[in-house]
Amino acid sequence: MGLKKETGDKLFSLILLLPAVITTILFIVVPILDSVYRSFLDFKIKNIISGTAGTWNSFQNYTRLIQSGKLGRAIAVNLIFVVAVVVLQFIFGMSLALILNQKIRGSRFFRSIMMIPWVVPTVISGLVWMWFYQPQYGLLKYLVSFFSGGRVTEFAILNDPKTAIIGIMIAALWKQVPLGALLLLAGLSNVPMDMQEAAAIDGANYWQKLIRVVIPSMLPVIKVTLTMSIIENFKQFPLFWTMTGGGPNGATTTLAVLSYREAFVSNNLGSGAAVTTLWMVLMIMVVFLFNKALRTER
Amino acid sequence: MKKLIGVLLVLVLLVSVAGCGKQTEQGEPKSDSTQSGEKDGKTDENKEVEPVAEKITLKIANYAILEKGYTEFWEKSKTAFEEKNPNITIEWVTAPYGEILNTVINMAGGGDKVDLMFGEMIWMPAMIEAGLAVPLENLMDKDFLADYYPEILEAFTIDGHLYSLPLYSSPSILFYNKTIFEKAGIDPNKAPTSYQEMLQMAEKISQLKTDDGNKIYAFGETTASVPVSGITLLAYTANFGGEYLNQENKLSVDNVGLKESLVTLKELNDKGYNPQNAKLKDLRNLFALGQLAMYYDNSWGFNGVKSINPAAADFTAVAVPLKGENGSGQSILQAHTFTVFDNGEDRMKAAKDFIQFMISPEVLADYMKNTTPAFAVCKSMENAINPLLEKAKAANTNLAPLPMISNLNDFALEVSGLAQAITVGGEEVDVALTNFKKTAETILNQ
Repeated sequence: MGLKKETGDKLFSLILLLPAVITTILFIVVPILDSVYRSFLDFKIKNIISGTAGTWNSFQNYTRLIQSGKLGRAIAVNLIFVVAVVVLQFIFGMSLALILNQKIRGSRFFRSIMMIPWVVPTVISGLVWMWFYQPQYGLLKYLVSFFSGGRVTEFAILNDPKTAIIGIMIAALWKQVPLGALLLLAGLSNVPMDMQEAAAIDGANYWQKLIRVVIPSMLPVIKVTLTMSIIENFKQFPLFWTMTGGGPNGATTTLAVLSYREAFVSNNLGSGAAVTTLWMVLMIMVVFLFNKALRTER
Repeated sequence: MKKLIGVLLVLVLLVSVAGCGKQTEQGEPKSDSTQSGEKDGKTDENKEVEPVAEKITLKIANYAILEKGYTEFWEKSKTAFEEKNPNITIEWVTAPYGEILNTVINMAGGGDKVDLMFGEMIWMPAMIEAGLAVPLENLMDKDFLADYYPEILEAFTIDGHLYSLPLYSSPSILFYNKTIFEKAGIDPNKAPTSYQEMLQMAEKISQLKTDDGNKIYAFGETTASVPVSGITLLAYTANFGGEYLNQENKLSVDNVGLKESLVTLKELNDKGYNPQNAKLKDLRNLFALGQLAMYYDNSWGFNGVKSINPAAADFTAVAVPLKGENGSGQSILQAHTFTVFDNGEDRMKAAKDFIQFMISPEVLADYMKNTTPAFAVCKSMENAINPLLEKAKAANTNLAPLPMISNLNDFALEVSGLAQAITVGGEEVDVALTNFKKTAETILNQ
């Protein structure tokens, strides 16, 4: 007796889903649960090497991080970085997309050229920007000195706790704006021309068309672009580690840097797991709130 | 039919996923420590070490292979050792300086231990804490150990076990540029002996510029966010008779020497004498280019200076560390070391042979004399000293101990953070010290 066609189809689709489900459970769900579990343990590198289990330490990984004051500061630095880079990336990416969407000569060539920073590995980008910012012989120092008429002769953006994060933001934007612009450009080219023409006939100017027609029409693309950007910048590590190592004076210590330092400098994997657990919760919250704020009707 | 093909494809995918897992397991070399008859990293004292007969591949972690100026020496030594020991093949495990310790520890975590590590003395506590470093007192030949200065072996002995063996040593010593001294009207043959003298000289030097109009910094003390900067700062504080940790390795920040060292560091920063937030390699760069008059570095740092500017040998001189008001110019011993990991008796024996081959006058004396200036740690190499170091020889005997705490790297990073707080952060010394106390205590209580 054969299965009903509907049941057979359901079973077949379940079988097709199986590799994806198993891979997700094995490589995403299990490691996350394992990390959360270890965040409650006294679990150091010696436990892995000697094959001994960690021991429950009464939330000490969390309390110690809070008491040291490092966690609160890292969360603040992380949020400032994410908000600033995501907003600026959208502004620059959208502006670039609007320019490239015009029928201007060489726009195709320019589209290809602008992707170069995105292709460069993040660590290399960090090193390139470090050389640009180098306090004694970096190009930025000479530019600042030149444009200030010699009044500012010592400008070291990464050495000042107030400006170091800006230096990293610039490097992050340089790298991420091209992809943002490309995604937004794809969204822009799908905005129906008839709606724009209708708005023009109704007397809408450029800005009114942009805000009332173009942007609402490309909201799903904007949402995807911004979500990707939020996640990318929340987990940004290579730029911070190569450019400042979390300094000066902890001014660029994000949750990523803090978790690395706890897990691989202190070799305290339990404490590192505690940071990553909080980091994950925070990221989920931010993405959830963002999605709620930009909820699009289907 | 289509459904059947679909199901078969899914099965193939699932088998591939399972296969990947298996392949990794097979690819990982098995630790054969159980065969060695040793438990908990301790060697069996009564067991005679058999001569190595079978083919052995010795995995040696060594960051220096990647650094220009050192590669040739290590590759030549490898060839010479392999010729002498045809049954042993050396396989380098490399990573940049800042990453090698993590690479080795993570490899061990994944079940793939190296046999030997060339590294810094300051990495020793982390390797002991991880349960990787093997006690060497019974592994090495007695006459080989007898060649070491006793105080050197003592510095590498923790809880009665010798965990690493140094190739050579160097505390932080003062490098200075004789040409800049001359330009500033200072006698180039007379180095400053105290911080007071240095500050007077710095005032004159800071008026100078290089030929192409760049600023000349008077004095360089590293304060970057890397552990080695923190260790150099511990040595700097010892110059003033100060300390961060007492002899029992408990936090000790209420001492005059420490406070004086921080006040001086702040003064150096506020007057623009010290390049801010600089790593040692930044200081070497500035010194090589004639933009830094004096700086603290380990003797082997000069190799980095020379690789940037070979002419640096003409203008470089060295001196013992400066004395603070209440200090005697003490410094802290640092060294490049070998640490052995347990991968079974045969490989430990091969590691021993390599160490004894390397730390011998035939291999090391010329290297210390002509390639990497450093102080000898063995009696047989007493005379193998680079002429540049002659005037700083006394620094190698005026030493404070390196605190051997398990999270030394983390503590050192916190010390760098304190230095940054009072320099680029603009905080007052007392405020910064109070904040430091809080964070340092959480590290020490881990």
